[in-house]
Amino acid sequence: MDLDDYRIDKEPYYRALGNEVALFEAAFTARMPMMLKGPTGSGKTRFIEYMAWKLNKPLLTVSCHEDMTASDLVGRFLLDAQGTVWNDGPLTLAVRHGGICYLDEIVEARQDTTVVIHSLTDERRILPLEKKNEVIKAHPDFYVVISYNPGYQSVLKDLKESTKQRFGAIDFNYPPADLEAEIVAHESGVDDKVAALLVKIAGRSRNLKGHGLDEGASTRMLVHAGQLVSRGIPLGEACQVALVLPITDDPDMRDALTSAIAACA
Amino acid sequence: MKTTQSAKFLKVVSPDGEGDEERLLTPAARRAFPDDLAARWLRACRKLAQAGYGEAIVTSYVRNSPAIAEILGPEIAIEMADPVSAITIKAKRKAGALLPWAALKAAERLKNEQLFRSWLGVIERFAALAPESVAPVLEKMDTLLAELNVSRLEAWVLAGVRSGGGDKARRLRFFTFADPQAKLWLQRESGGVVFTDMERRLKAYLTALWRLRIPIREPSPGAGEQSRRRVSFDRGLILLPPTFPGYRGLQAEEVFRASLAHVAAHFMYSREKFPLRSLKPLQVALVSLIEDARVEHLAMRDFPGLRRLWLPFHIAQASGASTAPSLLARLSRALIDPGFEDADGWVRKGRERFFAREDEWENPQISREIGGLLGNDLGQMRVQFNPRTYVVEPPYHDDNMGLWDFNDPDSENFEEAELLFESVRFEQQQEDDTSSPDRERKSEGEADEVNRAALSREAYQEEGIPVARYPEYDYVTGRERGEWTTIVEYQPKPGPAGLIERILEDRHDTVNRITALIRSARVGRAERLKRQAEGELLDIDACIEAVVSRKIGVTPDPHVYATMGRRHRDLSVLVLLDISESTKDKVLGEMATVLDLERQATALLAHAMDGLGDPFAIAAFCSNRREEVRYYRIKDFAEPYDAMARSSLAGLEGGLSTRIGAVIRHAGVDLAGQSTHRRLLLIVTDGEPSDVDVTDKKYLVEDARKAVNSLAGAGIDTFCVGLDSGGDSYLTRIFGRQNVVQIDRLERLPERLPMLYFRLTS
Repeated sequence: MDLDDYRIDKEPYYRALGNEVALFEAAFTARMPMMLKGPTGSGKTRFIEYMAWKLNKPLLTVSCHEDMTASDLVGRFLLDAQGTVWNDGPLTLAVRHGGICYLDEIVEARQDTTVVIHSLTDERRILPLEKKNEVIKAHPDFYVVISYNPGYQSVLKDLKESTKQRFGAIDFNYPPADLEAEIVAHESGVDDKVAALLVKIAGRSRNLKGHGLDEGASTRMLVHAGQLVSRGIPLGEACQVALVLPITDDPDMRDALTSAIAACA
Repeated sequence: MKTTQSAKFLKVVSPDGEGDEERLLTPAARRAFPDDLAARWLRACRKLAQAGYGEAIVTSYVRNSPAIAEILGPEIAIEMADPVSAITIKAKRKAGALLPWAALKAAERLKNEQLFRSWLGVIERFAALAPESVAPVLEKMDTLLAELNVSRLEAWVLAGVRSGGGDKARRLRFFTFADPQAKLWLQRESGGVVFTDMERRLKAYLTALWRLRIPIREPSPGAGEQSRRRVSFDRGLILLPPTFPGYRGLQAEEVFRASLAHVAAHFMYSREKFPLRSLKPLQVALVSLIEDARVEHLAMRDFPGLRRLWLPFHIAQASGASTAPSLLARLSRALIDPGFEDADGWVRKGRERFFAREDEWENPQISREIGGLLGNDLGQMRVQFNPRTYVVEPPYHDDNMGLWDFNDPDSENFEEAELLFESVRFEQQQEDDTSSPDRERKSEGEADEVNRAALSREAYQEEGIPVARYPEYDYVTGRERGEWTTIVEYQPKPGPAGLIERILEDRHDTVNRITALIRSARVGRAERLKRQAEGELLDIDACIEAVVSRKIGVTPDPHVYATMGRRHRDLSVLVLLDISESTKDKVLGEMATVLDLERQATALLAHAMDGLGDPFAIAAFCSNRREEVRYYRIKDFAEPYDAMARSSLAGLEGGLSTRIGAVIRHAGVDLAGQSTHRRLLLIVTDGEPSDVDVTDKKYLVEDARKAVNSLAGAGIDTFCVGLDSGGDSYLTRIFGRQNVVQIDRLERLPERLPMLYFRLTS
């Protein structure tokens, strides 16, 4: 079985902010597992898609959640007419056939779930399937990338120290204003002036991070707002729909944001 | 009231005192109650007298009812005798005597019988709900009705009754305006937009625009709330008036926002303060005006939308007298409003000078230059400028105090310039005087109240109340000595409640983390409980394992079901703070004392516990020999965590020793009364147990250990946070190794304690 369905055919749009592409390529060559850190909507997922396309490797994405068990990653026995049959999980697929396994928002998964990747992320590069009494040696193309949002970090949700220290890391943040405007303009089709204004508005909301908002408006949100504007919605309304209303339910914060947006234009 | 006269009244209206009608029926009374109404009125007076309420009530009725009759007609004035009776019975004589007087004030204000009747109804209902507070409210009736109509008065009264709960003393605090909430509700009911309602959004607004986190406060009550109608700022602090009178609804919100945006522009672009030097008040006013315009233009470069916010408040008209205040207001408008045309030469010149130097707007010095020149021109025009009456216009501009350096040694005209700023306050104080005719009487009454309250509090504090005796364990004999220690409960001294809010504000990072944790801990999200013996779902993993087990010939595990369930929090916590002498020590490398840090930590912890909805209590302790183990109740389980509790926490002071065993027993009794599944005693202590009457160090340690053990026997967990890095030995001896956490870096206590709590209780 090959993983052709998991390959990305078309080049995804990605605007490099620094030398992260070169860094990632080097890390991939060394098969050093990577973690992508950064707030939501800052381009982590887009980046990994771009890299998978560039390296021409299949990409298996797993969105982690609290209820996830190790079986959801590794695979499980299922029942069929003859009895039990083993079904590889996404991690095992990538290990067997060679591909990038991308564990999105890994801190959402319970800590004891994530330890299954330990044996894959050091020089052993093996995956023991204790239920099957099998040890899989990883395919040379197998590679693990995880992503997480440090904003969620708390005493309750954090990576184990032993997990953390197996990874190299690339920090993602919102791009500098001019680059971000370029991205917004490209993705949403608005002109440069509107894009710059949207980025300025995003700056206001990012100032409120930790002072009433858990997170400022992401680049993704700006693209949304821009898409509405380019379809004829007035800027103020577009910002309400794409930015203010989704980001908070707190009437005080909504008021402050709306007033601040009004001050920008 | 002279006694002889009142004696005559009494005599006249005494039960059998028919006949002396002449004296009672003064010309005013005759006019108010003509013909046969006079007889009915006399009967009403007699009825009051016969009831034996005392002369004050009868006199008050006799004196005030004719005037009420003049305004609202004789019927209601006569009928009013019944409510006077009713109030006297419910709310004591003082209130009864005040009612006719207050009723007259109400009649004068309401001028309508229907409204007056509903006012009487409000007072009667109020007397039933909070009899003790009727008198203070009646005393203030005139001022209250000046701001509220009858239904709003009722709303305000109910707010007070509700905020006091069943507690008389708290209600009284509200209705005597000792509780700041009273004023706040009054402003709310009178329809104004109050700063406190806007506070959060205004702060967020500043943060969003400029990342400015500057504390915003109301001017202290001492400054006279009315006396500040303009925003004011100084390094690191903004003082905002509680309301902008005259602005309502949306406009009021806008004026707050405009004020703050303006002050923030000063913070961003004004930088250095101007030295006062030899500037005349007029020049000071003009330099300030130019500086205002300069920073606004710089701010508008970044945020063009601010012009829409500020412009509507510039309402100066181009016509009119060429007085200094008018010219200044017009210049102000000309500098920000491109569409404003003013024919006045001086205003035009000012505008030209200002815009000619657009390239230099970054430089604050141009404000001094332009302002100075304009001042000279105005001087030559012989326009009079009176610093005493000058008020900065438009209202969203600040009072400019923050722009000038009064400590500048070169200032020659210091006093004169000071006058300019004094004038604002001066003028408004005069207004104050005229606005409250009852000022004198009211303040007398209030002073009395305050004195009494202070007295009773002091007496309470000095004495304390012995509430319980507990045994103490002597490890030498291996036995407990009965009734050996005495717990004396003291009322905590109230401190500034604002201190606690300030702590939360200063540590907003920690507060944010706590809030996030509360959210995740509290929701009690349903989760899937797997591998259950019964449940509504098949646990597919368990099923498969069961089948596999069966195939390989092993007995399958019967736990093959899954169910959805919530985990409930069911615990109560008592936090016990050590406030012995040693907590007065300064923490190494910090300005704060150990007690300060304990207070900060407790404030954050209480914030967390309050948010989680866990029942909790806070107490503090110290000791002075076995006869006096002091116990301060800051918050009980049943009480809300409100301003009173915060103020008690803020007022804690350190002193004396640490006899911990007795306190643990006492706290245990409190906790034992809680019906939750888990009961936790959380002790924060900074040193070894000690007391002046004990020399054997081991004695109190062993006693405390015994106390902790007996609590454990009663199902109460005890946990200790030790602040003494060398305290390992005795703390683990008392509480057990599992139940002690040492905080080695004291300055981190405030963030550690709430986190510790989450871990202990999750």
